[in-house]
Amino acid sequence: MQGSRVEILNEGGFRSDGRKQYELRDMTIDLAQQGQADGSVVVTHGLTQVMVSVFGPREAKMRSQTIHDRANINVEVNVAAFSTGDRRKRARGDKRILELAATIKSTFEPVVQTNLYPRSQIDVFVQVLQQDGGLLQACVNATTLALVNAGIPLLDFVCAVTGGVHSTSPLLDLTLLEENDLPNVTVAVMPKTGKVTLVTMETRLHVDRFEEIFRLAGEAGKIIHGEMKNAVRSRTTALVTAMGSAPRVGGGDTADKDGDDRMNEY
Amino acid sequence: MLSLSKAEKSYIQAGFLASPPSRADGRTLLDFRSVALETGIAPLANGSARLNIGRNTHGGGGGTEVVAAAKLEVESIDEDSDGRDGGRIMCTVSCSPSAYPYLASGALDDLQADLTSLLHQTLSHASLHPRNLGILQNKKSWLLNLDVLVLSDAGNVIDAIFMASRAALWDTHVPRTRGVEYKARKGVKGAEGGKGDMDVDEEVQSGFDTRVIPKATDFELPDYWDEGEVLDGRDRWPIGVTLNLESPAHFLDATAQEEAAAPLKLLLVFSFQDAGAAVIQGMRMLGPGELTSSNLKDLIKAGETYARDLFTALNAKLKDEDVRRNQKARERFELHR
Repeated sequence: MQGSRVEILNEGGFRSDGRKQYELRDMTIDLAQQGQADGSVVVTHGLTQVMVSVFGPREAKMRSQTIHDRANINVEVNVAAFSTGDRRKRARGDKRILELAATIKSTFEPVVQTNLYPRSQIDVFVQVLQQDGGLLQACVNATTLALVNAGIPLLDFVCAVTGGVHSTSPLLDLTLLEENDLPNVTVAVMPKTGKVTLVTMETRLHVDRFEEIFRLAGEAGKIIHGEMKNAVRSRTTALVTAMGSAPRVGGGDTADKDGDDRMNEY
Repeated sequence: MLSLSKAEKSYIQAGFLASPPSRADGRTLLDFRSVALETGIAPLANGSARLNIGRNTHGGGGGTEVVAAAKLEVESIDEDSDGRDGGRIMCTVSCSPSAYPYLASGALDDLQADLTSLLHQTLSHASLHPRNLGILQNKKSWLLNLDVLVLSDAGNVIDAIFMASRAALWDTHVPRTRGVEYKARKGVKGAEGGKGDMDVDEEVQSGFDTRVIPKATDFELPDYWDEGEVLDGRDRWPIGVTLNLESPAHFLDATAQEEAAAPLKLLLVFSFQDAGAAVIQGMRMLGPGELTSSNLKDLIKAGETYARDLFTALNAKLKDEDVRRNQKARERFELHR
């Protein structure tokens, strides 16, 4: 029952899902509140969907894990059994999942300003809802946005993207099909400075090809940063307007003439 | 889960016993918060649903949110595997730590195990078993895995789990299969050689032999892209209703604070097979407290009415969802005409 063989990149320059070589997947960011989390977000990259909830900084659940001069970041990852094509129930102690959690934690330790909250804990709960490649990328991007949403001070955004090489052509933002077939690397950058906080690769790639894909992934990270900033800005604007404390534009705004008393009118 | 002070608890309890009874959000004792339901949210699953009770309006979050997904996989029936002729159902509930931010991971595992056993024992019962989960008699069958994920808990999570499970099972489609039989090819060298050596009587099909022996050894999907037929027993999947008891009153759809103030609960799971006939599929008393048997009788009677209302409302919404999704698909294909 196999269909025809799927081409990674055809002669017209199109990939299996219709994208061009350097085209990123559709990214949606939903910053609506989830449950009682201090900050939460649902991020999708194409068909990969990840939800992250952040609690904190708050009192640590286990005193033994507190650090005297900074906050402890605790990352827990939960992969839904229905997230992949074949159902696989992953126990919480699964090595792959623990590795993913540890990677996320070490990516954010130098970025979150933990020295501002000694002896407290920041909990990051990652829930994977759907997987179609780029899981670490989605988790890192979602964690950044959730931390921003929770109001936890960061040195900068952390934007991640995957890159791969198909014979000599570099590709960006790989789907599951492409990830399984091509050598691929995940790169996370802090866009303001261009510094890289995460590079992981589990496949083999020739060193000549690596430089190009590494550089491209870094640039793609900056594009993702643009998306994230827009989402945060529109969410904040909506909240501020809803609170009714948006700064009133002086002069030409007729609607305001009969509005609230202003302090300086007294 | 939540810890309230004694003053808060007594305030909430007094609210239930006052006349007229009052609750923090202004509902009556039997009012449910608004329930949002969407089916087909996990495209990789055979059936799925997402349910939210008490979400804040206007782009809100909060509320009790539960995702349920049913996934089918093929099982062989032999001595080593757990497969059973006619298929079987396995239910699992997992709780996201973001739903219970104050619980340690051990307590979270315990809660998951409790909810799993509750859901599994109720839904995998033989009286609810769907009839189209077999593939090849005594050889292969479908294993239906129902995974429920609790994303946030603002009270009344058990009712949410049962409603979401019912919705996901309603949405489940079983792929159509066709038995396949393998025949040795005629004209194979070995066969001819065999025949030449001996005079072998050919097997003649006797006219008196009316047995129908299914000879299929494997199966195939005639249409890979076909979603399949609807899972049998759609109307039988049960509805759970939790009656929170604050003697002599009882109330429905408790928020987290109300659950902490009135911890004694009676969970009733009803199945409405044909119009009119209600069957209790499960019953649990949860929390500290006691009930007399006459109390219990009255509560069961009341619970049946509430469950029936929930059942009717849920069915109407499920039918709406079916129409909405078929409508969307139809519109999409219309554009390509």
